[in-house]
This record gives sequence, C-alpha cells and structure tokens, in this order.
Amino acid sequence: MRRRTAALALGTAAAMVLTGCSAMSPNANGTVTLNMVESLTNPSRTDLLKGLIADFEKQNPKIKVNLISPPTEQADQKIQQMLQSGSGVDALEVRDITVGPWSNNGWLYDMAKDLKGWQGWNAMTENAVKASEDAKGRTFFVPYGFYGLSLFYRKDLIKDAGFSKPPASWDQLLKQASAINDPAKRRYGYAFRGGANANSNATAIIEAYVADKVDLANGYKLKNGRTIFSAPEALDALKTYLTLFKKASPKSSVSWGYPEMVEAFSNGSTAFLLQDPEVIATVSESKSISKEQWDTAPLVAGPSGKTVQPLATAGWGIAKGSKHKAETVKLIKFLSQGKASTDFTKKNSLVPILKSATEDPFYKTGPWSSYVTMTKHPDTYLNVSQPRGVTWWSEWEQKSDADVQKMVTGKMSPKELLTGWDAYWTKKWEQEK
Amino acid sequence: MPATSATTTGPKTSRPVRKQAAPRVRNGPRGGRKREFTTRRGLLIAAFMAPAAIFVAVFTYYPMIAGSQMAFRHWDLNDLTDTSWVGLDNFHRVFSDPNWGTVLGNTGVWVIGSIVPQLVIGFALALWLRRRFRFRGVYQALIFFPWAISGFLIGILFRWMFNSEFGVVNDLLQKAGLIDEPVAWLADPHKAMIAVLIANIWYGVTFFAIMILAALQSVPDELYEAAALDGAGKARTLFQITIPYIRVTLVLTVLLRVIWIFNFPDLIFGMTGGGPNNQTHIVTTWMIKITQQGDYGKASALGLLVVAGLLLFTVFFLLATREKREVRS
Repeated sequence: MRRRTAALALGTAAAMVLTGCSAMSPNANGTVTLNMVESLTNPSRTDLLKGLIADFEKQNPKIKVNLISPPTEQADQKIQQMLQSGSGVDALEVRDITVGPWSNNGWLYDMAKDLKGWQGWNAMTENAVKASEDAKGRTFFVPYGFYGLSLFYRKDLIKDAGFSKPPASWDQLLKQASAINDPAKRRYGYAFRGGANANSNATAIIEAYVADKVDLANGYKLKNGRTIFSAPEALDALKTYLTLFKKASPKSSVSWGYPEMVEAFSNGSTAFLLQDPEVIATVSESKSISKEQWDTAPLVAGPSGKTVQPLATAGWGIAKGSKHKAETVKLIKFLSQGKASTDFTKKNSLVPILKSATEDPFYKTGPWSSYVTMTKHPDTYLNVSQPRGVTWWSEWEQKSDADVQKMVTGKMSPKELLTGWDAYWTKKWEQEK
Repeated sequence: MPATSATTTGPKTSRPVRKQAAPRVRNGPRGGRKREFTTRRGLLIAAFMAPAAIFVAVFTYYPMIAGSQMAFRHWDLNDLTDTSWVGLDNFHRVFSDPNWGTVLGNTGVWVIGSIVPQLVIGFALALWLRRRFRFRGVYQALIFFPWAISGFLIGILFRWMFNSEFGVVNDLLQKAGLIDEPVAWLADPHKAMIAVLIANIWYGVTFFAIMILAALQSVPDELYEAAALDGAGKARTLFQITIPYIRVTLVLTVLLRVIWIFNFPDLIFGMTGGGPNNQTHIVTTWMIKITQQGDYGKASALGLLVVAGLLLFTVFFLLATREKREVRS
C-alpha cells in the first residue's frame, strides 16, 4: 500500500515538473505571438500602445502582440535581463542611452536590410532618419519621437512678481525664480533636479553657456576638441545653477527626479520647470492649476543669446534572439508611419518624427508653439547630438548625478565638479581611440 | 547513560549493544520497524518533497551558484563582450570603493539603531497589551497594522512625511514650537539617516510586539503570584521571571530581525534612494545600485560578502546564546 502511495507521489511530482516544462515551450497553432516590451511606461501610454496594437492585429490577423510593461524605474534593467536570456522578447523599446550597450552586447537586431527601400523613410524628418542610424550605418531602432527641453512657466506668478514675459536666458530665469520664491508661503521659484538624471539639467546650462564653441556633432565637445567642462564659461554656468538652487528652489529638491519635479509644477508649488514635451499632457490634467495659468517658453539661452537643444530619442527595435523577425519588422513599420505614429506622438506629447506633423495645427498652438519657435530658429536653438550612445553612459549618469548632489549640498565646489567631469570624458575619449 | 540503565536489566557483556537498539523500539510497536521507516517512509517523504526540492534547486541554488561565479569574472552588462576570469578583482574593487566605509558604517548604524529601539518599544507594547483592558483588540490591530504594509511603500510614505516643504513632520514640529523653520530632513545625510531609522523603528516595533506578546502568554500566572508572595517588585519580576522565561523567543526574534534588517533595502530605497550623496546607503541598497549600473561582477562579490557575513554572525550568535543556556541550566 505504502509502495503504491510512494509511486503515486513520485508520479505526481514528475507530472508537475513535466507540465511546468511543457508550458514553457512555444505553442504552434499557426498564429505568431510577438512579445513587445516597453520601457518608459505609464498607464495612459500603455493604453495608447494597446490601442495601436489592436489596430495592427486587425490588419494582421495571424499576428498577436503581447505587450509587457514593467514599471519605468526598473524597465531597462528588466529588458536587459530578458535580452541576456536570449529569448522571450521580439519587439522592444530602445532608447538613445541604451542602444550603445545593448548593441555592443549583440542583443539587438540590425534592421537596415529589412528597411531598405521602405516608403516610411520619405515621410520622416531628417532628425528621425539620422537618429535611426548609428555611426556604422546600422539600424537598431526606428525612433517614435523626440524628447526636447522647454521651459514650463506660471503666467500668473511671473505677472504678480512684476515681469511682463517669461525668461529667455538662464540669468533672467534666476532673477524671476528668485523673485517668486517664498518658502513661507510654500511657493518656490524653480523645480530643481537634484536626484535621478540631475546631470542632464546641469549639462543643459553648461551647454547653453558654451553654445558658441560647441561641436554640433558632439554636445560634450568644444570645437577645439576639448570637453565643454573645460571651458571657463562652464564655471559661470554652474555657479548660476548653484545659485538657482540656493535662492529659488525647495531644499528637498536635492533628491528630486522626474516625478517630483513634474508633481511640484503640476500641484502649483513651483513657478518654473525644465522638462520634455510629454509633460504637457501631464500638466494639462492638473486640477491644481488651470490651462490659463501656465504655458511653455523656448529653452533658456546662455550669455551669447544662443542655447543648445539636446534632442533625446527612443524608438522600437528587435531583439537578436527573436524568432519572428519578419513579423516584428512589420509591427515596427506599422508603428512608425501614418496615423499610428501621429497618434502616438500627439497623445504621448512628443516631438514628431513625421514631416507632415509640422503642418498640423496641434503643434502650432498652446504649449507646443515653443517647439515650433525653436525649430524655426536653428541658429539660436542649436540642434546638437549628445554622446548618449556610448557604452559607459550609465556609469557617467551615476557619477555625474552623485557629483551634482555633492555640489548642491556643499561637499564639492563647482570647479572641482568640472575638473572631475573634464578628466572623466577626456580619459574615456582617449581610451576609445 | 545507556550503560547505567543496561546494568539494571542484564549481563554487562551483551547489554550495551542491545540497549543501543532500544530507541528504535520507541518508533513503533516492534524493534524491527526501523528498517521499514528508513526505506519506504523515507522514499515517500522524498517523493512528496521532490517538487519543492526541484523548485528550490532551480530557483534558489542555481542562481546562487551562477551568481557566485560572476563574482570572479568581469561581468558588466554594458559590455558583455569580455567576461573573463578576474580572480579577486571584484572584491578588491568593493573594498577600495570610496563609498565602502560609509556603507559599512551605515549598515552598522542601521542594524543596531533599528534593533535596540524596536526591541525595547516592542517589549513595552507587548507588556502593555498582555494586560486585560477595554478595546484591547482594537489597540492590538492598530499596533500590528504596519507589518502588513510593504517596506517600499512605507519608504515613500515617510519620504512625503519628512518632505521639508510639504511634510507633516515639519508642520507638527513647527506648530509645537520645536523648530522655527522647516528642517530639510532628507537633504542632509545625517538627518536623512535619522529619518530612515525612525521609519524603520516604527515599522519593526510591530514584529517584536507580536512575537513577545505570544511568548508572554505562555508565562504561567503562578510564577508571578509566587514572585509577588516573595515580595518581588516590578523590575525584579521582569528581569528574574519574565525575561528568563521568554529568553529563547527573544534570542530567536533578535537573530531573525538582525538578518532581516540587514537585508532590508526596501525602505531606504523608497525613502532616500541611498542619497543624498550616497550617504544613506547600506550594503544591500548599495548592492542594488551597483546592479542597476550593470556591474554584476562587483555586485555579486558584494553579495557573497553579505552571505558570508550573515552566516558568520548567525553561527557566533547561536553559539554565544547556547553557551549561556548551558551555563544557566
């Protein structure tokens, strides 16, 4: 009897293990299921993507798309782990800051051949076509849009403080933000970025101050080949930036990242915010400030009256381990052209990849008009590529974010910070040669 | 002991051997059932345990072993083209990192600064809850409630509470006249460390209260009655009756909590993310940060150090407390 029970238990155990194994193997019923992973997730964006995927599935009944949306903070790490395992991902969101290490590790599929002669290229802006190719002519992702900085400002607060128009330069921004700042009333001038990705805004002011000397092909390099951090103007920039923190920003902003900054502007407690266009949608939904109370202005300039607009981008790519590359290319083509692309950039508030969008009234009015202004004046708002595709970008972000925090908490001087950053990039570029 | 009892039942020459088999008889009606127990019953147990054992092997031991070998290789997610053997280089990089001293010091502060107040306050709460009073159940539910919340969520909750501009902590302190202007709790490394400790103490008191209350309910009332008759005061009763009686629970709870607190990055991550200036990192949050940077080799080396450290602590802690038990008995 006991022998029989033991045999039954062993059999059950074996069945459980085998069942588990069989569930992991692909189910070939004629329909191809693609796993698509997004990175910059938020609930409304995920719904938007699901809607676009539903349209794609209608047009391609033999292809199903399973959208995976990890939480934004951990998404890139999750994608890395999935890519490293070599299976389970077909389409994925690739960012300009992740394309370098992921392609270097051989995780991404080069779509250049598949997209040769594709009609979609003709409809795209020059920036979009350029961003889709790396230095060796490989296409690891097709951009879905661009992120670029503009200045979100409170119309009512600057008027109350006696200013007739929003700031056009960093100096004016410091002046206006300081005038508005009143901690006793829990009203602050500037939503300072001191936490995650603090380096981006610190670099934005440095680039603005050295705009006349910057190498357009590499936003971290001067025309003389040295780093932008070595320029004397960079020190002036950082001193201004530090004053902006001390005189016009909440103390807790030393650890503010994207969510805290956007929340502070949306809930009406800060007057200025430097952010990407997708924030337009978020602020528009705010119940604390009305549409009449805020607007956007072009990115503030340096002493020369010029500034540098570092366009960040992301797009859709294919995992090298995907077994359904042809179907995934089909999906990426669908998302990168026509109504799907327009809907995605409009509803997700992105600078569009399609030429036709510039004629769209949507982009000419309200908060979007500052982007049109910047596009119309490329001599003032210089379009510059940052070296975001390098394999050490993640290491750089960690180092530079920590340094910005050290500077604003008084543990490091602006000069020490710049010396360190200059040495870091000089060494990296030397090693690259 | 067996030899002594053997002398009472038969000749000395053969008894010790037969007596050694005596415990087997206790396992069943006949001494011969021992063999049956080790084969059929053992097989049955093994068969039922097999699925769990396979899952543990696949999901616990395999990643542990795989992770361990990463500690001796160059394993950087940003560049996996070179995963060569680097020996102890990853360990060297851990020890030579400028943050290592701060991280180690913070871990000590984090564990000791959390465990001592948690134990004292938890003990006091348990003593209070042991008494019978009106609405005791409601108080118990309120006190045990924090344990049901995730550590990360508590971190976020306290981050807002300690926010210098909008947080309730500054508001209350200002209204009470204890501070003149808002304190930037999370912008200053020392204050941020105090803030995370306060949050963790609040969170962990519950566990001690639960464990100690359960142990207290096992102390016979007769002991307290006898102590009262002997004229023992409250302090003497506490130190000579209550604490010795529940000592085993206290020791195990402290041991478990030390390991958990050491391995509890959630709250710090939610509250400060290890900042400002990396000054509130403990070993585990730092390990996660290194992993996020893609440096799996260094993170694995740190992971091995954590495992080794905790194993050593557990062994010494158990040995130390066992000796005391033996001396006492």
